[in-house]
This record gives sequence, C-alpha cells and structure tokens, in this order.
Amino acid sequence: MSSVLTVEHLSVHYEVPAGGLFRRHPLTLKAVNDVSFELRAGETLGIVGETGCGKSSLGKGVLQLVRPAAGRVLWEGRDLCTLSPAELKACRKDLQIIFQDPLSSLNPRMTIGEIVAEPLEVHRPELGRDERRRRVDAMLDRVGLRPEMQSRYPNEFSGGQCQRISIARAMICEPKVIVCDEPVSSLDVSIQAQICNLLRDLQRDTGVALLFISHDLSIVRYMSHRVLVMYLGRAMETGPRLSFFGAPRHPYSQALISAVPVPDPDQADPSRSLVLDGELPSPMDPPSGCVFRTRCPLAVPVCITQEPALVDVAPGHGVACHRRQDTAPA
Amino acid sequence: MAAVIECQGLNVRFRTDDGAVTAVSDLDFSLNPGECLGVVGESGSGKSQTFLAMFGLLAPNGSATGSIRYRGTELLNAPRGALDELRGNRLAMIFQDALSGLTPTMRVGEQMAEVLVRHQGLTRQQARARVIEALEVVRIADPERRYAAYPFEMSGGMRQRVMIAMATLCRPEVLVADEPTTALDVTVQAQVLRLLDGLKRHTGTSLVLITHDLGVVAGLCDRVLIMYAGRAVELGPVRDIFRRPAHPYTRALLRSMPGLGIDPAEDLPVIPGQPPDLEHLPPGCAFASRCAHVVETCRVTRPALLAVGADHARACHLPA
Ligand SMILES: Nc1ncnc2c1ncn2[C@@H]1O[C@H](COP(=O)(O)OP(=O)(O)O)[C@@H](O)[C@H]1O
Ligand code: SF4
Ligand code: SF4
Ligand SMILES: [Mg+2]
Repeated sequence: MSSVLTVEHLSVHYEVPAGGLFRRHPLTLKAVNDVSFELRAGETLGIVGETGCGKSSLGKGVLQLVRPAAGRVLWEGRDLCTLSPAELKACRKDLQIIFQDPLSSLNPRMTIGEIVAEPLEVHRPELGRDERRRRVDAMLDRVGLRPEMQSRYPNEFSGGQCQRISIARAMICEPKVIVCDEPVSSLDVSIQAQICNLLRDLQRDTGVALLFISHDLSIVRYMSHRVLVMYLGRAMETGPRLSFFGAPRHPYSQALISAVPVPDPDQADPSRSLVLDGELPSPMDPPSGCVFRTRCPLAVPVCITQEPALVDVAPGHGVACHRRQDTAPA
Repeated sequence: MAAVIECQGLNVRFRTDDGAVTAVSDLDFSLNPGECLGVVGESGSGKSQTFLAMFGLLAPNGSATGSIRYRGTELLNAPRGALDELRGNRLAMIFQDALSGLTPTMRVGEQMAEVLVRHQGLTRQQARARVIEALEVVRIADPERRYAAYPFEMSGGMRQRVMIAMATLCRPEVLVADEPTTALDVTVQAQVLRLLDGLKRHTGTSLVLITHDLGVVAGLCDRVLIMYAGRAVELGPVRDIFRRPAHPYTRALLRSMPGLGIDPAEDLPVIPGQPPDLEHLPPGCAFASRCAHVVETCRVTRPALLAVGADHARACHLPA
C-alpha cells in the first residue's frame, strides 16, 4: 500500500524556562527524539506508551501544531516542516486532528451545525450555502447524530456525542489523515466501543489513514494495523499488529502487554504480571544509553553507554534493544 | 459469617435547580469479612455516591435514606464525631485523584505520621518509623527522602501508592478504593493492583474496589456488584459474573470490552444509545431503552433483584 505520510527522524523539543527552586537555567525537554515511521493509505498506526512519553507531541509535531526541532514530515512530495503558515493552511484540509477531551475541544459559543460547517467555509469557500448545508446534514447523519441537533450547543451533549461531533468536523473535508489523540480515553466502556466502531467504519468507507494515539493497549490492538511503542520520547518497538502482539520483543513492550488486566477470573492474577519497578525518569534528565535501562529487568552494562538502534527482527518489525536475541518467545 | 458492612434500601438524592436527581435507588448489598467486592458501572451509575454516603461525604445538596451498618453500627447520617473516629481507624477510603486526599501544603510523611499520632497515640518518633516502613511496603524508592516531599513533587502513581500506604497505616477493617487506577498508566496500575491484592491476602482487610473496568475486577475480586443508573442490576461471585452473566447489561458490557483476546477483524458488539437521564428515570427497567430483549413489562414495572443461583442475583424480567 502506498504511503501517505512519511516521518523521518522527527524530534520535538520544548524550552522549559528557568524558575522555581530547581531550575536555575532554562532546559530543553526532548519530548520526541528521532522517531521515524510511515503511514499508509487506509491504515491505522497505533502509537502507544505511558503518560508523558511523547505521544501527543509526536502527533502535534507531525501536523506542525508545534514546530519540530529536527526531522522531516513528507507529504505529497513536500516536507511539512519547511512550509510557511499559509502553505500549511492549505494542507490542513487533508490533515485533521481529534482530541481526548471532546467537550473542551469544541467552541462552546458555536452551534453544532456551525462547528461542523466551519472547515468547509475555510477550505471549500466555492461551495454554496445549500451545498454546505447538505454536506453537514449528511455528515451528522453519518456519525449518528440527528440533523435537528444542529442548532444546539456542545454543552448540551454527552462526552460520546461530543466526540461524534469532533469526528464529523474532522471528516467533513474528506481528509487523508486524522491524528486521533486518545479519542476514547475519557469515555465509558460502552461508548468507547461505539466510537471505535464509527472510526473503523469511516476508514473503511473513505480510506482515511489514522494515527491513533492511546495508552490503552486493548484498544490499540482493536484499532491498529501497525503499532509503534514509545518510551521517554523514543521509539522502542514497531511492527504489524499480529507480529507485535503475538511476539513483542522489547522488554518494555512485554511489560506493557503483561500489565493489561486479563478479563478472566481463572487466568488473571495481579501477583503474576510483570510489574516494572521504580519510577519513570524525568524527561528533562533521561538515562544515558538505553532510556529504559533504569527499569529494565534485562539491562547489561552496554545499555548504559550505548543507545540501541531500531533493528528489524521480522519483516517490518523493529526493536531497539541490545538484547533483542534474548527476548524471542521460547 | 456476619457481614462487615450491610447496606439496605439505600437511596441517595440531590436537589438541583432542575429538580431532584436520584443517584442511588433502593440499593442492597453486604461486604463479607476478608472479601474483595467489585462495584462496576459506567460513570454516573452511582458507585461513588453510594460510598460517599457511607462515609458521610455527600455534597451539601445531597441526602441519603436507608441504612448502611458497620458491624451493627449505623453509619448513615451518623454524628460527625463518631464517623470521624471510625474513618481512618476502622474504615478508609481512597480516591481516583490521589491529590484530593492529600494536603498540598504538608510534607507527605508528616501527613501520614499525623494519622498515627491522632488515631493510635504513637509518639512522633514511633510514627515516623512506621510511616517509612509503610512507604517501603508500597515500593516507594528512597522512603527517607520521600518522607519530606510535598505531594506535588510526586508523580500520580507515586501519590496513589502513598494514599494506599496512608489508608492502611491503621490496618483498617474496610478499605474502599474508588477508581484507584483509572488515572494511571497500565504498568503503574499493575503496581497498585498488586499492592491491593497483597493487602487483601496478608492483612484480611475487606476491600471494595469501585471501577468501570471489568478487567481489573477479574483478578482481584471475589464478588461483583454491577450498577446501572443508580441501581443494582446484578450481584454474584466473580466467576458467575464472567462465565454466567445473568443480566443483559452485564452480558453486553462483557461483549463490548476490547480485551487482548478478541479478534480485531470482527466488529465489537456495542450497546446502543446511552444511560438514561437521572432526573427522568423511566418507571420500569432503567436499561430498557438500550436492551435487546426488552418486552412490554420492562417499560412499566421495575424488576427486583432476585436470586438466579447460589449467592447470584439479578434484576431482570426475562425468564432465568
Ligand atoms: N452534588 C451533586 N448534585 C447533583 N448531582 C450529583 C451531585 N453529586 C453527584 N451527582 C450525580 O449523581 C450521579 C451518580 O454519581 P456517582 O455516584 O458519582 O457515579 P459513579 O461513581 O458511578 O460515576 C451522577 O449523575 C452525578 O452527576
Ligand atoms: S537495550 Fe538494554 S536496557 Fe534497553 S531494553 Fe534492551 S536490555 Fe533493556
Ligand atoms: S428487565 Fe427487560 S429491559 Fe431490563 S434488562 Fe431485563 S429484559 Fe432488558
Ligand atoms: Mg465515580
């Protein structure tokens, strides 16, 4: 399948100003460090990792909502990182984002109809009022909202309905890529399944590619064709769903998967999951060598001095670990 | 085996500008000594309000009727002083947001020591030693140094472990944990669940685990109470709930979970619609508008929680 978006060696940094008791000098927080991937048409790439590992910064860096410190984002033959704001604006029609908190990401003073119509007004001004109206009606219907809800305001809707509205707004210009940043994390289980299925249906119908960011491995497995695992801003492992979930090879991925509660009373046992000891190091002061080494049960001296490169262990399945030979399933 | 906690006919209502909200209605359950009871439901199903009522912590516009007894002593609407005495000594509660349970301006270790000084009459010296021990148990690295830290200097996972350490300092008989892992990442969640599991096994504390995640319940709980729109819809041993769920809502909830074992090629079965508005609860079954098996009676008569097996009950009109 052809790639719609190619990300090469992307880094996103934040300047943390001096201040407080602990920081006499400004610091650079390397939220994303040298991450590369390809996103293909009609495909979902799941980005997993724990709070603060750089998932959202990666998504924002790809869309240039924060400007990357280094790397390239290749899109239709151009590098988004080099485009001017005006040139980027023209691309936004095809590159959309959906956020975790559905209510606060919608303008409270606009009606649902206005919220969904807005991208069309910006990007497709040539469409007449009636055509715009027709498309908004069709889109709302497609995401499971009744057209007569158009004149109501976001605060009158539940979390799940607000997420449907966000999806309608993101889809209305028929984008090629949507970054979904924890789109179901704040929703209840029964509503999560509704929204996941809606995204899968829309992808089947339109071929939109999704960058699906989540800390929930079960949901990532359900949604994604391929997976990328991040820890402290680095890619630890990436691979096709089957290969990754069937035989995860990075010690961090293995810990993540074993920590997912098993919904079966005869198999679940909290005292048996591979619990990681210690705390997540500060992203302002990451460990040398392999960033996972302070919590890794397999760490050896070389892990302190040398950062492991992402190396393929199976077709399309890369692992950044010096001991990747020792982590294969028995 | 006499229950430690016995809840009967609990109703929790809130007065609001738009009228009365019924957050919990006609709830009965008990907690046996040494067991872990899982309380599962979607947000707004009344899980938290049930236990806030028990601890006398309802918001000012809320009121509770019915009865919740701890070893025969009525807790509901009991005088402040009596409740305070039980709380922190015999009964403890931890919350989803560990920050809300900690005083922001006080060093973590000192807050914990305070509990021991106040409730158990220990000296500062003795209390400090016990606190450091407790921090070690919850695997806080470098407990001597963390003793002097402020809550904001800790990560969410660390604070949650501190809350557990604090709640267990006085070896409570009952510990209610309200979504203790919801705000945490999976690996931190696994740490916290392992702690709670150890606590149950080694101290005999009776545990109530409130969660929206059925997966969490499977590993830790002995019995499960499923709530929907403020009502108990099913109550039973954890194996029955997973192997022989008797209520259409429980069954649908189990099917709609995207666990690691499902086939991602198949679409997840969903529960259509959303929970009812608590200000306008339907007269019959609260699940009727989303239930695939709804019949006429469901819309008019509220089903009672009736036994379908040993220790296993559900509230549904369908023939068992
Ligand atoms: N102070 C209050 N005023 C009005 N309604 C409230 C108040 N506190 C809670 N409620 C309502 O009570 C219902 C049950 O809440 P809760 O027990 O917190 O649910 P859960 O813990 O299952 O998510 C919710 O609909 C909630 O909005
Ligand atoms: S490189 Fe070393 S520390 Fe890093 S994951 Fe592999 S074994 Fe562990
Ligand atoms: S009582 Fe009726 S509507 Fe309610 S769960 Fe049972 S079958 Fe469904
Ligand atoms: Mg709650």
